[in-house]
Amino acid sequence: ENVDLQKTAFLLRKAWTLYSVTPLYRFRRARLRDYARLLSAFIAAEKQKGLAVEVGVELDIKVAMSSLPDLRGTEQDQAAILVQLSSRSRASSRNSEDKLLWSGWFCSVYGDDFSENVPESFTCLPLFLTHGAESYTAMVGSWFQKTFDCSFRRLAISPLNLSWMVAMWAGCKLDRAASAVELIFSVPHLPQSLDISYAIHPEDAKALWDTVQKTPGEITQEEVDVFMDCLYSHFYRHFKIHLSAAKLVKVSTVVASAHCDGIIKILHSQYLSGVLMLLTELAISQIQ
Amino acid sequence: MDETVAEYIRRTVLKIPRDEIKTMLQKWGFLSEAQLQTLNFHQLKDNVSQEVVQLCEENSADIKQAAVLDIIYNHIYQNKRMWSVYQMKKSGEELEYFDITDFKKKFKERLRSALKNVTITFKEYEDNAIWIRVAWGTPHKKPNQYKPSYVVYHSQTPYVFISASVLKSTLPLLCQALIVASNYHDIREMELRSHSLNSLKDIVFKRYSQNFQTYNPKPLQGGNVEPQSADLRIVQENRSEKERIHRLNREVFGDGPQPKLEFAQYRLETMFKSDPKIDVLDKKEPFRCLVKFSSPHLLESLKSLVPAGMADAPLSPLLTCIPQKARNYFKIKDKKGFFPEGFVSP
Repeated sequence: ENVDLQKTAFLLRKAWTLYSVTPLYRFRRARLRDYARLLSAFIAAEKQKGLAVEVGVELDIKVAMSSLPDLRGTEQDQAAILVQLSSRSRASSRNSEDKLLWSGWFCSVYGDDFSENVPESFTCLPLFLTHGAESYTAMVGSWFQKTFDCSFRRLAISPLNLSWMVAMWAGCKLDRAASAVELIFSVPHLPQSLDISYAIHPEDAKALWDTVQKTPGEITQEEVDVFMDCLYSHFYRHFKIHLSAAKLVKVSTVVASAHCDGIIKILHSQYLSGVLMLLTELAISQIQ
Repeated sequence: MDETVAEYIRRTVLKIPRDEIKTMLQKWGFLSEAQLQTLNFHQLKDNVSQEVVQLCEENSADIKQAAVLDIIYNHIYQNKRMWSVYQMKKSGEELEYFDITDFKKKFKERLRSALKNVTITFKEYEDNAIWIRVAWGTPHKKPNQYKPSYVVYHSQTPYVFISASVLKSTLPLLCQALIVASNYHDIREMELRSHSLNSLKDIVFKRYSQNFQTYNPKPLQGGNVEPQSADLRIVQENRSEKERIHRLNREVFGDGPQPKLEFAQYRLETMFKSDPKIDVLDKKEPFRCLVKFSSPHLLESLKSLVPAGMADAPLSPLLTCIPQKARNYFKIKDKKGFFPEGFVSP
């Protein structure tokens, strides 16, 4: 874990919307400042065209782009790129602080298998995470698409992947008190919709996972299936409801929470790398 | 007129949807029909409420009248609040004649002896429901009119429905005043909560259609049943299974509409038992879970689970007992000595 805690504090406890991004063509890390200026001009032009985000208030949007060398898996990974949009209201005084409006960052954590097979002129940062208004995301995405010939796609998280996450994270050992391991299901196609929240005491969930997992540090699909089957059958025993037939919509643990619409919240820096690695993998499989 | 009263009336009127304002003011009866005629309801609501306040000024409204308007609003929009159910216990079997005047007097006395600054308002409705509104103050501050408690008491029953103030410390005092005023000796909170006050009443007063055995020899009709196919055997099996499910559902849920609840919560403290083929967790400690079911109409939703193939018939008694047990919060432990197909909930 070579991650500098201070530098990554910004990404904890925020809900990030996930996208997969195809490799960026002729992206030059040395030109980040230039890119920031170009993006800024692009956004200003978009607003003048009438695609304004804020109605009424005059906002100068400032763009900052930076490199995060510690946010990566191995040296083979590209370092993460952070893009931030801030505003300084023209009406306010010169001393006023910039208000952070939107953040987005590109990253690759243990994505070497993918980047190995990509030509030199391309930069691989397959995972894109955003926080802030959708309209800003659209503008930033649009500029990157035009400039680097890449494409973005929302990264949905399937119930299969959600169950991987909950199994993995339920087994995490933490120094501090853990919150419940929660699975949220929705039962579609009923005349009256039904949501089911199944929250397990973190110690008990971890105890269950520990008896299921055979090799520490390694997780197999079979182990995840057994873990989930155990949870489903304990539930069935009480309620006679086939939870496996319901749609797993969200999972939440002390480490992180993930929603099937492709929204993630990382709560603890201790397992940051593991979470990002899993997400990078999902992004890569969506691209391929 | 006190400007805090004026402001309170103004804000209460603002809450009312435009089309309802006139009716509600008429129900209130504080402004005359002539005064109501002078109001222009087709302007901005801000202006309507200002005009209402002016009329109230003419009539010198005080907080007591304003509180009545608030009860009327909350009676009509009762489903905006969360209601809990309390049950009172009598020491003896004495049938006492309920005297409303006596009740009100004792209730006010009990509260005022403990707390000088309270606003207490009563309103009786046709269905024998007594609505009580209490706004709470402190020895040094006037009552906060914006965080009152509401109580609905049907005097022929031991049940009280409370939408408590967010000022939680006031609840014990409220409960005490209720038992003193109604001549009961104890009150306990039931594990039953919902936004739908009427559904709560349906459940505790047993006004919903309860499950009873019905002999239903007619085959199932309607769109559920597959059309006849060449292979008669398949259709027959399917039909009889669907009929069986339909019949079991009727036995369990009854025929009529279900009371409207939004959620049920189960705290499970039962042992984890897995398929013996899988070598997993076999602790001596319970597997602690908290399960919460939510739906715009929970019981209807549960009723549809078996026909939808999501659950096996008959549906678990943990779910079907909700109206009979009059609770939607449960704590489930293993029954001692039994193989854990049986559960107890204390």
